[in-house]
Amino acid sequence: MTRPTRPERKAQRSGLSVVLAPVRTRLAVAAALQLIGALAGLAPYIAVVEIAREFLGGNAVDRGEVWLWVAVAAVGFVVRTACATSAYTISHVADADVGLQIRRDTAERLSRVPLGWFTRRSSGQVKRVLSDDVTAVHHAVAHVVNDLVAAVVTPLVTLGYLFWLDWRLAVICLGPLVVWFGLVAYMMRDEDARTARWSAELDKVNAAVVEFVDGIAVVKAFGQVGRAQDRYRHAGDDLARFLSEWAGPMRHLDSLASLIISPPVLLLAALGGGVWLDADPAEVVAFVMLAVGLGAPVLALGFGAQAMQVATDAAGRVAELLATPELPVAAEPRHPVGARVELDGVRFCYDGRATVLDGIDLALEPGTVTALVGPSGSGKSTLARLLPRFWDVDEGAVRIGGVDVRELPERELYRHIGFVFQETSLLRTSVRDNIALGRPDATFAQVEAAARAAQIHDRITALPRGYDSVVGEDAHLSGGEAQRVSIARAILADTPVLVLDEATAFADPESEAAVQDSLSRLISGRTLLVIAHRLHTIRGADRIVVLSGGRIVECGRHDELVAAGGAYARMWAAQTVASEEPA
Amino acid sequence: MIRKLFGMVDRADRPRFIRWVGLLVAFSVLQGTCVLLVVPVLRPLLNGDREAAVPWLVVLAAVTAATCAAFYAQALHGQQIADDLLLGLHHRVGDHLARLPLGWFGTGRHGRLTHSMSQGTANIIGVPAHLMQPVVSAAVTPAVVAVGMVVFDWRLATALIIVGLLLLATHNWSQAAIARSFAAIDSAAVESASRVVEFAQRQPVLRAFGRIGEDNRLLDDALVGQRRAYGEMSRNAVTALIAFSTAVQAAFVALIAIGVTLALGGSLDPAELIVLLVLVTRFVGPLIEVVDHAAALRMASEDVDRIDEVLAVRPLPEGHTTRADRPGEVCFDGVTFGYGDAPVLRDVSFAARPGTLTAIVGPSGSGKTTILRLVARFWDVDTGTVRVGGTDVRELTTEALADQLAMVFQDVYLFDDTIEANIRLGRPDATAAEIREAARLAHVDEIVDRLPDGWHTRVGEGGVSLSGGERQRVSIARALVKRAPIVLLDEATAALDPHNEAAVTAAIRGLAEQRTLLVVAHRLHTVASADQILVLDGGRIVQRGRHADLIDQPGRYRDFWRERERAQGWRLTVVR
Repeated sequence: MTRPTRPERKAQRSGLSVVLAPVRTRLAVAAALQLIGALAGLAPYIAVVEIAREFLGGNAVDRGEVWLWVAVAAVGFVVRTACATSAYTISHVADADVGLQIRRDTAERLSRVPLGWFTRRSSGQVKRVLSDDVTAVHHAVAHVVNDLVAAVVTPLVTLGYLFWLDWRLAVICLGPLVVWFGLVAYMMRDEDARTARWSAELDKVNAAVVEFVDGIAVVKAFGQVGRAQDRYRHAGDDLARFLSEWAGPMRHLDSLASLIISPPVLLLAALGGGVWLDADPAEVVAFVMLAVGLGAPVLALGFGAQAMQVATDAAGRVAELLATPELPVAAEPRHPVGARVELDGVRFCYDGRATVLDGIDLALEPGTVTALVGPSGSGKSTLARLLPRFWDVDEGAVRIGGVDVRELPERELYRHIGFVFQETSLLRTSVRDNIALGRPDATFAQVEAAARAAQIHDRITALPRGYDSVVGEDAHLSGGEAQRVSIARAILADTPVLVLDEATAFADPESEAAVQDSLSRLISGRTLLVIAHRLHTIRGADRIVVLSGGRIVECGRHDELVAAGGAYARMWAAQTVASEEPA
Repeated sequence: MIRKLFGMVDRADRPRFIRWVGLLVAFSVLQGTCVLLVVPVLRPLLNGDREAAVPWLVVLAAVTAATCAAFYAQALHGQQIADDLLLGLHHRVGDHLARLPLGWFGTGRHGRLTHSMSQGTANIIGVPAHLMQPVVSAAVTPAVVAVGMVVFDWRLATALIIVGLLLLATHNWSQAAIARSFAAIDSAAVESASRVVEFAQRQPVLRAFGRIGEDNRLLDDALVGQRRAYGEMSRNAVTALIAFSTAVQAAFVALIAIGVTLALGGSLDPAELIVLLVLVTRFVGPLIEVVDHAAALRMASEDVDRIDEVLAVRPLPEGHTTRADRPGEVCFDGVTFGYGDAPVLRDVSFAARPGTLTAIVGPSGSGKTTILRLVARFWDVDTGTVRVGGTDVRELTTEALADQLAMVFQDVYLFDDTIEANIRLGRPDATAAEIREAARLAHVDEIVDRLPDGWHTRVGEGGVSLSGGERQRVSIARALVKRAPIVLLDEATAALDPHNEAAVTAAIRGLAEQRTLLVVAHRLHTVASADQILVLDGGRIVQRGRHADLIDQPGRYRDFWRERERAQGWRLTVVR
């Protein structure tokens, strides 16, 4: 994701080898077969030359000899076809396997990195690595290895044969190829840096596109009218500008290089050279057939090298991603007892910058409701997200049932903590599977019971395919409805500890009443942490914790805090005024 | 494909495109001529008459020079077209998308669209840059060779034509087989890409519910599906990939065998046989070259098709009226509308006079938000008319309509830019002072003070680094800075914390003094103070009037109000 600098190049090279390690043997076999096939592919051409020699030799034609060469051509053909078929099959299967494996490994790894990794990146960048980059590596596996072998070996063997026939004519035909190599080497001299730039520019376009498509409603409402969002256009312009800066000066050279190994030029070299040197006519035939054909595989070599460069670059990014540090796994996992949650001297900051939470000491007793209140940015959401270990604390500890969350096995942790999110948290799958997210083995009756408890069952049955309706496809739910689906999800997951992140924020009036009814059912008997904006909803909480600037400034029951006349009392007064005074 | 590509090129650049295609054809014809000239050079040579070959060699040299010139010219043209195409396509696709109805951006499009708009455009430009030349040459050069051969020897010509037709059939068959497999691969890849985006965006919820690694079935199934599609392609495509080169070799070996039989039998001059065999290798040269590019070409042609599809979607027809007669007025007249088959709004009529507040209330899914979307013409109505400023929205130009409206959405989306830039989106030419003023009114300045880089803090994709309440305040500031006569407000203040709620309410109240406000309202005091309340149920307006009139009548509104009051008094309590 970061732009590779020169010292990182070595790591990138090994990136490709890391990525291809599981299929290395298969690729080697494929390459060997391809090599044999390439050699066998020459047989028919050699046969023609030898047959020509027989016919043009002036002596009586030896029929047996001629038919022998026809047989050689046929055998060469069969061997080549068999080798090429096996090589392609082996490499394609290896390719498909390696693609799945890389994607799985990467997804697995990313599920265990601190959540901040995702907030620092756009989903477009993640998509780029998991989809596009892996595809580029794919290409390297399936095609480049095969094609490179064919493109390198075929011309080498051909040239060897031509040199053996007539070295002077071979030198003449080699001339254009040498010039081509020189030009290409000159043009590729800092290809690495340019490929990296190109990929960085493409990253920008990717991110801009995702944003543009996601923000299309805003673009349409404000978007300077019929014009695409500026960033997308700028990213596109930068990409185009970079391309013309990169390719512009090379243009003439590039055309010249392709020209010099084009069939007409090589044809002229072979025929002209043959006449000038008064070479054996049968051998001139060999040159016209083979030397003229050298241009195509050599050009393919150029494209192959470029694809290889792209693949290497991509593999570097994939390998880098695979090496992202995970949240450490406990060496000796411990099992929690009970559902008491403790935060003990917790300090936390994102990326070592401004401290978000400092000196937080807090215990959540089983069966009680604790409400977190405070202005935007006071650290409420961050605190709540430390419980399911989206991040690790910098100092202190978060304990559940007496065990530090860092020592809890992953599955144990998720069995203990449920979460109802503030923002949309539904996946593009059936409503049923959305509800059963935390318990995929739940029966339909259990799912339905959870939906009823969350007051969303009736709405779901009104959808075109009921519980099988797919969110975003035929299930279009309002904010309040989506909220109730996530509450049903939490009810079904049935965890002893539950975090509600501004759970009533987007509810509309009717669904707010419904959401609150469903929440009442959800919270009984659990350890509950509620992030609240609307103070009236948490008036009955066992404890209200007031956060400000990342610290706990007040703590107590509603009546106590109002009576104390501190921060909470001021918030309460402000909200009471806001909701009672007509607009 | 050339035609579609032509359609994508800017109108002004089209003459160059036509010149380019002409040069391509000229190059291919000249290349065919070079190949033909092998016959008069090689035949005397094989018969031992070196002198007779020399004049033809001179001709060959001259034609080769012309071929080179044509190649050079077409290459430069092609690259220039590629450059212009890359520059132009992003603009065209972007501008086009912004004019499509929002309904078009459904699920499933996301992955495909983002691919087309980024990597896709980069692939497309490979076509003029270097992929088109082999294609044109593969079609034209062998044809020229076969036709020209008739002049030298009709038997050789017949043999070449037969070989050529067989190879063409093989090529078409294999390409069709590959195309079929690639269509399957493509849809699997699109599904997997959109699951990856979901994976990244929904990471918190996936983790909170333990869907990690292979337990994330949605992603894993998509990945396995992609593997399966690849596996299936391998079976089809491997045969197809090697079919052509195998056919070339087979034809060659067969011609050797047949030729040898004829030559030994005396009915074919040995020199003739050799010339034929040589010609076959040169004849298929251009075809082999196109096979080398087949994969890249196919990818590019799919990208061309996809972008062509996007560009072919009809945008909402553009109106021509540039000025609204009665600024600030919104009027629905017998509007019926549905996103799919089922209508969401049925026969809705109402008018919001300039400077008034209209509150829309009703249960989830009753069509409240849809009314706002129709005012902004995110979709066109099925029947009836929506008038803004006295004119049917379909007759207004996009600019004229946008000038009338400012919106605060329920699901606030911010662009990954600074807070200032996000506010400025409301009106790009706003002065810094105007932006600060709007920010102050919407209490965004408090957020700014808290952030590490102040006004220059980037908010992350979609605004992720701000809380829900903060995002909404930024979006209110964005609407404030626009200073449009009509403000559309969708449950805007619901997620604000108490400290700011009162202040933002006051700001919106100030805004309402000179403006028409259309609010999907949830808070009772907004509703109570409205000049007009529209009560929606099942897509119809079931009641309308002021609070004082409605609260005394039995009906939806009174139920709504009572339920709402119950919610107000509700507390989160544990049933012990």
